[in-house]
Amino acid sequence: MRPLTPRRVLGICLLLLAVLFAAVVLSLRMGAYPMAVRDIVTTLVNGALGRRERIPSEFWLVVFGLRLPRIALGILVGAALSTSGAGFQALLRNPLADPYVLGVSSGAALGAILSLIVAPLAPGLIQVAAFVGAAATITGVYFLGRRGGHLDSGTLLLAGIISASFLSAVIMFLMTTLSGRDLRGMAFWLMGDLSSTPAVDLRWLYLLLLVGAGSIYTTASDLNLILSGEQEARHLGVNVGRVKIVVYVAASLLTGLAVSLSGAIGYVGLLTPHVMRMLFGTDYRLLIPTSAIGGAIIIVLADLLARTVVAPTELPVGAMTAIAGAPVFIYLMRRSMR
Amino acid sequence: MVPAAALLAGALALLSLARVATAFERPLAASVAQSSAITHVTDEVGRQVSVPAQVNRVVTLSPDLTETIYALGLEDKLAGDTNYCDTPPAAKLKPHIGTAQNPSLEAIVALRPDLILASTSINRRETVDELARLGLAVYATNPHTVRGVLASIENVATVMGAATQGHGLVVGLRARLEALHMRLNDLPLAHVFFVVWQDPLITIGQNTFIADALKWAGAESVIIADQNWPQISFEEVVRVQPDYIVFTSNHSGDTGKLLSELRSRPDWKGLHAVELGHIVNVSDEIARPSAGLVNAIEELAHDLHPEAFSGPGARYAPGLQKSTPEFAVTAVCGEEHAACAR
Amino acid sequence: MSATDRARQALAREDGATSNARRAKLVVEQVSFAYAATHRSAPAFTLGATSFEAQTREMVAILGPNASGKSTLLRLLAGLTKPLSGRVELEGAEVSSLDLRTRARKIALVQQESDLLFPLRVWEYVLQGRYPHGRSLRFESDEDCLAAGNALSQVGAESLRDRWMNELSGGEKQRVILARALAQQPALLLLDEPTQHLDIGGKVELLRRLRRLADSNRHTVVVVTHELDLAAEFSDRVVLLHRGRCLRVGAPAQVYERELLEEVFETPLEIAISAGGRPHVHLREVP
Repeated sequence: MRPLTPRRVLGICLLLLAVLFAAVVLSLRMGAYPMAVRDIVTTLVNGALGRRERIPSEFWLVVFGLRLPRIALGILVGAALSTSGAGFQALLRNPLADPYVLGVSSGAALGAILSLIVAPLAPGLIQVAAFVGAAATITGVYFLGRRGGHLDSGTLLLAGIISASFLSAVIMFLMTTLSGRDLRGMAFWLMGDLSSTPAVDLRWLYLLLLVGAGSIYTTASDLNLILSGEQEARHLGVNVGRVKIVVYVAASLLTGLAVSLSGAIGYVGLLTPHVMRMLFGTDYRLLIPTSAIGGAIIIVLADLLARTVVAPTELPVGAMTAIAGAPVFIYLMRRSMR
Repeated sequence: MVPAAALLAGALALLSLARVATAFERPLAASVAQSSAITHVTDEVGRQVSVPAQVNRVVTLSPDLTETIYALGLEDKLAGDTNYCDTPPAAKLKPHIGTAQNPSLEAIVALRPDLILASTSINRRETVDELARLGLAVYATNPHTVRGVLASIENVATVMGAATQGHGLVVGLRARLEALHMRLNDLPLAHVFFVVWQDPLITIGQNTFIADALKWAGAESVIIADQNWPQISFEEVVRVQPDYIVFTSNHSGDTGKLLSELRSRPDWKGLHAVELGHIVNVSDEIARPSAGLVNAIEELAHDLHPEAFSGPGARYAPGLQKSTPEFAVTAVCGEEHAACAR
Repeated sequence: MSATDRARQALAREDGATSNARRAKLVVEQVSFAYAATHRSAPAFTLGATSFEAQTREMVAILGPNASGKSTLLRLLAGLTKPLSGRVELEGAEVSSLDLRTRARKIALVQQESDLLFPLRVWEYVLQGRYPHGRSLRFESDEDCLAAGNALSQVGAESLRDRWMNELSGGEKQRVILARALAQQPALLLLDEPTQHLDIGGKVELLRRLRRLADSNRHTVVVVTHELDLAAEFSDRVVLLHRGRCLRVGAPAQVYERELLEEVFETPLEIAISAGGRPHVHLREVP
């Protein structure tokens, strides 16, 4: 009997962080602008020490203006989506749940489209509007998903699916009937795009990620019990109602955050928790941090591929996560069946 | 040992990430700083752009702008274009920066452009904003009408420091359009159904510059719609019974095969235009806001109103393949504008 | 002193504390329950005024045909619902007003099935029973592991420790579920029709085990059942329910009266007393 210890959690997280670090280094190295590793390192070091004058302006541009922001955004989005996916899989008691199943991404997309209609040239408004759309959907689905005063997994899932379909239909309608509007940007946003700069300082967004993921983590033990049976969990003293609300709000906000910044990148939120379960077990005290870091690794690598595979053409990140993710998942699944 | 190294690396990474947020307090223009003089202009979407007086390297983000650069004779300054810039064919050999919708920002930076040209007809606002954020000069054109296309060409020429070439080219194009207008003025407009896509059936809306181009060719679209690319049902076409049906392709003039294919389809066969053989296959330049648009307009006018072009004074030979922009410039310059720079 | 020894000491101390209670551990006084009544009719009582008491080491059987209110009574005992009248007290505290964690430390409700979404090992499942004994987000201590190990050996499932839950047979699974309840170290152990899917050997083994557990761990065990003979054989006290009314409470010999049982179960029956003083029920032949 080897129960999970904090030390084991920390050890595995450090291991994954090392992998993430390697992925970041690799991603920094590759790109259309030719830069030697030596130059990248000196740029990073001088940048960290605040000595900007020592670096040629083009190096600064490429490392701190293009590659690093994109990587930082990718880490944020990957971590947010994977943690959210893990949370929803527990909340809805459904291994097929992903961050978008409750309609959050459709609501965000609707917010984005409305902002394009109302004020197409305002910078950064699209992201704020998307987040507002997500928040509105979260609230709506919450009230639809209640049954007898508290969140019921089955009802919530239904409410989310119906909302997602409805919102998608509205979006289709708007995109088809709008006169002369330039909605080209929407197509890319709907496929997932890491090239836009966030409207809000990245540090605040990372703080939001930590708050959201941290909130879900406080319910990790509870989720373990709930996954063995909701009634039994109640009998063991778990405040199931409170846990559901916390996970629902936190996971939905994480999804809204990710989707507002980069559109709906698919498969990460669904696959990462499963891959981490196969590698490290189903205990949520370990699954949540491993999903977060694992998602970051996957997005960084997927974006790297998307940028470089058919350079200079850039593929959508969502396409890469699907193409690369599915075979890996199949391999791990077959391995676990043996 | 390993955890300690990982922690250290993590700390360094976080520190760099934090720096990222403060990296761009003031826009830095890598190559603009090298030039001596800077002009402040307003582009066609209202943005303030700081353009160097001497533009040596330009990157175009859309095929029509690439075509314009070649038409102005400035192809030596073209440092890079998109994957799909194929007019003229020489443009395919230039370094590529990706697709127009999603170009690689890094590839653009790697080309060290003094100026980047974008067009609202195909590029995204986000791309332009990102490039501006990096401190690069981006000039965006915004053509909505045929006259607007000509104005855009002049603006691009001015920004590139080739105002005289631009003026010459545009004056010539304008003259051709005016001549065309005089010929077609008294004739009734041909009622035309413009096919953007067959399945689903998509045509043009009244706010597109293609609709405007049609008017210059003595035609108008039978479908009035606010959306730019309305999808309509075939019944609507049957109800309206257009005089002509216009298709676009990059092999203009070859209507024989197209006609027999349409006549074999039960639904299209019932249209009067198909019965009478009033099918026009016009160059796809009609959909591109560049100098070649005028060629396409003339071609279309010939196909729709052949009676206006018989007799002396006919300058355009039907069946001619897509002409190069140089042809247009010299043809006009030789006849009417001795003051042309070239 | 090793961590294991310290853990053993802590467990022993806890055991000693509970044995000091002299009063009845479980007091059920005039509890009743009804679902929401319309303003036109009187409330339909699912359970009328019921009272009984139980000491530590006692096993109580709640007997009755279907729809007699047994499950309602069990829910009231577990503190899952507040009674319409009366009170349920365990170790002097009203169970429905306890907070969730405290209640889970005192009362364990053994379910029929387990509904696992993801694969889980037996020891992980049993360790979950330790949840009430700490903060919400916690990592298991040596004490927890010891309690879980004890629980497994008490149900004879030590060898199943590393197996996957979904690979177990029905009987094995039930023992593991019981072990998880025991890992809670509750004062009150509640079971709802635990013998349903077992054959006669399994039924006897389970009830015998419950009897032993009641004795050794000083639990109070309450079993809802309709197995007349087994209830008579193993329980100290029987609560007989019929259509929401509590008809009789007492030792099996006192409750098992022929006319009473025939009325409740609507079957001609015959009662015989065995050598040990326990009543046994047979079918009576009707001429």
